[in-house]
Amino acid sequence: MNNKIASVVIVGGGTAGWLTAGRIAAQHRTQTGSTISVTLVESPTIPIIGVGEGTWPTMRSTLMKLGISETDFIRECDASFKQGAKFSRWVTGTADDFYYHPLMLPQGFGKTNMAAHWQALRNEQQLQESFSAATCFQEAICELGLAPKMITTPEFNSVANYAYHLNAGKFSTFLQKHCTEKLGVLHVLADVVSINSADNRDIRSVTTAQAGEISGDLFVDCTGFQSLLLGQHLQVPFVDCSDVLFIDNALAVQIPYDSDDAPIASHTISTAQDAGWIWDIGLIHRRGVGHVYSSRHTSEDQATAQLAAYIGPAFNNSSLRKIPLPCGHRDIFWKNNCVAVGLSAGFLEPLEASALVLVELSASMIAEQLPACRAVMDITAKRFNETFRYRWDRIIDFLKLHYILSKRTDNTFWIDNRDPATIPASLQELMQLWRYQPPGDHDFTSNNEVFPAASYQYVLYGMGFETCYDYSEHLLRDNQFAQEQFMKNKKTIAQVTRSLPSNRELLQKIHLHGLQTL
Amino acid sequence: MTQFVALHNQHHQQLRIDPERIEALGAHQHMVPVVLSEFLKLVVHYPIVFSKNSETGQFVCSALLGFTAGENLFWQNNQWQGIYTPLQIMRQPFFIGEQQGQIIICIDMESNVLTTGKGEAIFDSSGQETDYLQQAKTRLAALINGENETQVFIKTLLALNLIMPMALDISFANQQQQRIQGLYTINEETLAQLGSEQLMQLQQQGYLKPIYTMIASLGQIYALIQKKNAQLGLA
Repeated sequence: MNNKIASVVIVGGGTAGWLTAGRIAAQHRTQTGSTISVTLVESPTIPIIGVGEGTWPTMRSTLMKLGISETDFIRECDASFKQGAKFSRWVTGTADDFYYHPLMLPQGFGKTNMAAHWQALRNEQQLQESFSAATCFQEAICELGLAPKMITTPEFNSVANYAYHLNAGKFSTFLQKHCTEKLGVLHVLADVVSINSADNRDIRSVTTAQAGEISGDLFVDCTGFQSLLLGQHLQVPFVDCSDVLFIDNALAVQIPYDSDDAPIASHTISTAQDAGWIWDIGLIHRRGVGHVYSSRHTSEDQATAQLAAYIGPAFNNSSLRKIPLPCGHRDIFWKNNCVAVGLSAGFLEPLEASALVLVELSASMIAEQLPACRAVMDITAKRFNETFRYRWDRIIDFLKLHYILSKRTDNTFWIDNRDPATIPASLQELMQLWRYQPPGDHDFTSNNEVFPAASYQYVLYGMGFETCYDYSEHLLRDNQFAQEQFMKNKKTIAQVTRSLPSNRELLQKIHLHGLQTL
Repeated sequence: MTQFVALHNQHHQQLRIDPERIEALGAHQHMVPVVLSEFLKLVVHYPIVFSKNSETGQFVCSALLGFTAGENLFWQNNQWQGIYTPLQIMRQPFFIGEQQGQIIICIDMESNVLTTGKGEAIFDSSGQETDYLQQAKTRLAALINGENETQVFIKTLLALNLIMPMALDISFANQQQQRIQGLYTINEETLAQLGSEQLMQLQQQGYLKPIYTMIASLGQIYALIQKKNAQLGLA
């Protein structure tokens, strides 16, 4: 029990597997090499699902921690820049209905309550802009298809905060190369045929068809939806959340650009449909477009027709991939000496690109909190389970928020989504509170928050929610300061829209010249 | 505007260049790209720094002439106040072009230095190159070879982490504060920690001299501030 945790075995080699392997190996490197052996066992026959083309800005620090060059990453993973999400037709369903969830805090956030001032000025018709447009210059950049930085901006630095869109298959391959060549991760191509337990029900080893028995002190389950180690072997049940979030199917296609110089959107575009929504992600050589929908509220034919209508003449039925989507997560994520990362831990609709960020957060906690020996592992496991249960719950709340504020009535999908019986109590409570005060840091006090209060503000006020300030006029006291912030935002918009290149122009320059590291 | 055409001994036989006007072309440049072979001449007047080409993001070596875009503190009373003017300016109006894989010399037909009256001819009446053109070609060759050489120098320094951003906060005599961004210089701390093998490599490549010249040239920033103060009428 007091032997050092010296070997980590990761089963499964998608982005989840490689990110976790890389983070652990990089974290435990010393001048004389790694103090931990990291082995990744990957089936040569099971294909990678390759979900998650959208990331969070956390990916920048993850790549830095792995010692990856941003130029290499952008070139080899077809990556492009992502500056948030544009939600189209989510409120009324009309063509001009949209709002942004950018990746930067509202101007003046934390100094005064911009949401209160914005609402007051807007109701007095002294201000026309939407909440996101009035408080965050990033929306203007996105609307113009501009990049978040310049060719002279060093790697990982920004003018406007950003994440990436990427080709998940290429990202996996890229990480594999980096992990095996630079970080000393051992790569074993073999199919796991049995899992062997120790007396205390820990996993002692896995037996593979091609490489014999592989033993380890800690096993990371990255086997995708099948959850081979945690779900099947250790019998941790799946907590279904489809009573809250109804999406259960995806139809995905890849669409070429009309021309070599077609603009590349620098944000994810999410367009609501009658029983789901369509994602639209621009990579450098193609777009990834897909329709996620609720099969309880529409048919596959109907969903396909809507996707075809969205895409137009470029739609090609033969490349259509249908992916059934579970909605939920394991009851716990770490049991005995096995922790699940990625789809094996759970999956939620990709509305806020939560899949890869959960992988990063999991990999980060495992790497940084790796128990020293088996004797303390149960404590780490307990804390990991509490942390991630909290995170999954907050993500579910935040995703649900996008649905309950819609005013659409064109399908029972939207009406059912607003049924209080489908809304988690934690979210209902927050919504009660927010009728009288805007979302603030006091609402999100854990060290393990996933979305900041600002994100809730962008969605709430972007979707037309009104907070009542009749009993809290003090929130409008700093009127002068708030006016200055709105002006400042306008000034910044004028300044950055003059200097930033288009998203495509910058990506082409990075492919041609590369970014400097300083 | 610029309009480059290939130099032709008949088409351009009547063309004259007024050398007096060449330096005026740099009157509003606050930075000018320079090459290694010029460093010893440059250090007499100018801070030599690294900056990034705004189109490609790649590092170049530059002489600093002023503190804001458009400000050349060496251009005063319609004259370049200095005994050495960077090659990048003195090369005007000639440029290098490429035609069917061949390197050719081009001339900027929109350049202000072109005249038809008095001035230096490029070709004589029989179509032969004049001494003036010969010299211009020598300058051009020095610049082109220098650019490649300087790129290799920069690559080597980057690989050794010898380049770092330069924080330049200047207060002028009129209390005006200015933060100059986008300039880089030699990281002296990294330089001091180089192992003997790496130092040997730099020495053999002939890079120690330009490295120390760049460090020494930073003292010229004070001279440049003084020029600015003088211009503000405060020194």
